[in-house]
Amino acid sequence: MQNPYTLHTLDNGLRIVIEKMPTVRSAAAGFLVRTGARDETPDVAGISHFLEHMVFKGTAKRSWQDITADFDRLGSSYNAYTSEDRTIFYGWVRRNDIVKQIALLADMMRPALPPDEFDMERNVILEEIAMAKDQHDHVAFDFLQEKVFAGHPLAWPILGYEETVRALTRDQMWNYMQRRYSPENILFVVAGQVDEKEIIAAAETHCGDWTQAECRTDRTVPEIHAGVDVLRTGQFQQQFVALTLPACGASDKDAETAAAVSTILGGENSRFYWNIVQAGISPRAGAYHLDYADTGVLILYGACNPENVETLVEAMRKEAKLICTERVKDIEVDRVKTRQRTSLAVESEAPYYRLTQLMDDMEYRGGPRTVDAMLADVDAITVDSISAYLERFPADAEGHLASVGPRQWPNGA
Amino acid sequence: MPDTTHETLPCGIEYAVMPLPDRHIASFHIRVLAGTAEEETARLGVAQIVEETITKGTAKRSGRELSDAFDAIGAGCNSGTGRETSTYSCTVLPGHFERALALHAEFLKTPTFPQDAVEVNVALAKQELIGLEDDAHALADRLLDRRAWGPILGRHPLGEKETLDRITRNEVEAHWRKHYHGGRILLSVAGDVDPKLVSDHLQSAFEGFGDPDAAGREAFPTEFQPGRFHQHKDLQQQQIGIGWPAVNAKHDRFPTQQVLLGILSGGMGARLFTEVREKQGLVYWVSAWQETPRDHGMLFLGASTTPERCDQTYKTLLREVDRLSEDLTQDELDRAKTGIIASQETKGDSTRSRCSELCNDLFFYGEPIPMEDKIARIDAVKIDDIKAYLDAYPRDKLCVVTVGPRELAANGKG
Repeated sequence: MQNPYTLHTLDNGLRIVIEKMPTVRSAAAGFLVRTGARDETPDVAGISHFLEHMVFKGTAKRSWQDITADFDRLGSSYNAYTSEDRTIFYGWVRRNDIVKQIALLADMMRPALPPDEFDMERNVILEEIAMAKDQHDHVAFDFLQEKVFAGHPLAWPILGYEETVRALTRDQMWNYMQRRYSPENILFVVAGQVDEKEIIAAAETHCGDWTQAECRTDRTVPEIHAGVDVLRTGQFQQQFVALTLPACGASDKDAETAAAVSTILGGENSRFYWNIVQAGISPRAGAYHLDYADTGVLILYGACNPENVETLVEAMRKEAKLICTERVKDIEVDRVKTRQRTSLAVESEAPYYRLTQLMDDMEYRGGPRTVDAMLADVDAITVDSISAYLERFPADAEGHLASVGPRQWPNGA
Repeated sequence: MPDTTHETLPCGIEYAVMPLPDRHIASFHIRVLAGTAEEETARLGVAQIVEETITKGTAKRSGRELSDAFDAIGAGCNSGTGRETSTYSCTVLPGHFERALALHAEFLKTPTFPQDAVEVNVALAKQELIGLEDDAHALADRLLDRRAWGPILGRHPLGEKETLDRITRNEVEAHWRKHYHGGRILLSVAGDVDPKLVSDHLQSAFEGFGDPDAAGREAFPTEFQPGRFHQHKDLQQQQIGIGWPAVNAKHDRFPTQQVLLGILSGGMGARLFTEVREKQGLVYWVSAWQETPRDHGMLFLGASTTPERCDQTYKTLLREVDRLSEDLTQDELDRAKTGIIASQETKGDSTRSRCSELCNDLFFYGEPIPMEDKIARIDAVKIDDIKAYLDAYPRDKLCVVTVGPRELAANGKG
């Protein structure tokens, strides 16, 4: 199969990756800015996410009304999101509109941060924080991260705290943006039925004059804390519990194996599904490999009626122990592989689906992988490689237990 | 529409096939006309229990063996329970299409509904009902549905605690026996498939599947309950939901309604996002949407905001709908139409999306509708159509639901 990728770097350091998808009728473009909650200092917690909102609020050329109207005139499916280590902006359009989409997104990467809009948008963020506080899962995962990564920027919520968001100034955001939105800290990705020369020319036109700024990323590897932490709250009726264990990071050679472990434990047709959900212990129980380039954790979680929580945690620990003490079955490994083949075929149909995968490959694996290379990585997972991985990162370690709900459990009633 | 076929099998299954030869996957989507509206009043929740347990054992296989059989071919399967239909969809590599279809026929035709699986899934549904109380947004939706649609179409798939208590294995089997047969099934196929082979596979897989006579196509009654309803809950935000009757998907004015929704809530440039969020900073989430059971339609507005802003948010939501009659511009109209049309075209790259839309066509219109026709109907909508629509469907009676720390102020509609 011909390599569908084109890689290019502009003189100012902006890296570009393009995937040609000849059979589709659409195209998607996205900017990944390598900045997120883990790049913040405690006094400005939430600034990356707030800035993501402000990117839509006006540039030197466009008011916020122009930006939204221009997106809508293209009929674009567009959005943005912020995580601990990246901020992403994307748009998915009909193939003939991709250059206009790039022009718009590129303009937004140099936002003007209008002062009036800054104050108005602060209200929107405060509403988003209030909304998150009403969501059990959101409260529980924020609590878990706060405790597991205590003392490290990964412990801070992406949305920030009400106090820090209220206190943020436009000048602080302007300074942050000047450093973090420097072109060598940005990755530009396009996928779809496109002409790579046309895309590179569009990038030159719309991003070529971006000037570099000193942008140091001093990310440190966090300590992953063990222990027990309880957030007792009468706000929710169910108890949410999560066991968090050290795992490999996304750039690790074993990243695919780590994902397979969480799928075998807590994905579809998994051990958790049959032995916890279909045993009637919890309607929602699963496993999740949360990873960043340099670190990761395996999270085993579930929510249930408070009186069932001991049974739920015991069942999760039992499965975590079994996967370490008894070799996984061939059928479980094969299941991961066959599913992945279908997923890749589905993903290869729609440009928007390809953006995230390409961004992950560029950020974590040093370059884009062809479908054949991705399949080869999955095929390399074996019963033995899983056993070796679980010796490296034992799932039956004590780990960290977070409990959020009406019961003061396990430290209390 | 490229060579789409539309047939009915001798067993009663109505199906359509859209060959897309340049794709690398094949999808099928099944709608069984056996949703919550078909439940007995005393057994609310049974439709979802059937959907959850129908794969937990067949005449040939245990539930685990069935799951393993699907995994052996890498099938991506989904299912769900709605008002009028239970859906089962599947995506596989083309070489596994026949096997995936045969496995679906196996569980749809010969489920065993093991006693323990039924008991467990009833118990899980009760836990999920409690979990619903922890999700303010879902809770508000549930209350709004009940009051906007009435006791039949306003049912929640999870049922009620009291009705779940009455569901036994026999009740589950009875619901399946009554509603799962050829005459109640609509099926669509899209992707890299040969229509003739698909027809042969369907014939052999579903042969003799119960009563072939078409059934389950009658309209269900609605009972719109105007007025304001508040449920107190100690939350950070107030959930607001507003609904009023609108047109169904077959109505001549349906394309106008789609465009109207696009103007209100199609993108970030749409009116609600612009006025409620961007200009006034009242909310993070605001939306307008429609729900269209086959013979009915309802429009909804929703937002969540902190209690001190809820009256202003409520007022602004309604004002924005009224304002459409006063100052709608051609540019706004064009943007909304472009959004709908472009979305059809970009999502058309997804085989799964094409397949599910094809099944929707069978359900709503009784035949496949070419994408070009749908686009032409949207494209034909004019400003005067929007104004005429708003005149024809006044919002003088509203169903308003709030969940949160305080009620809305006394003045205003609803």
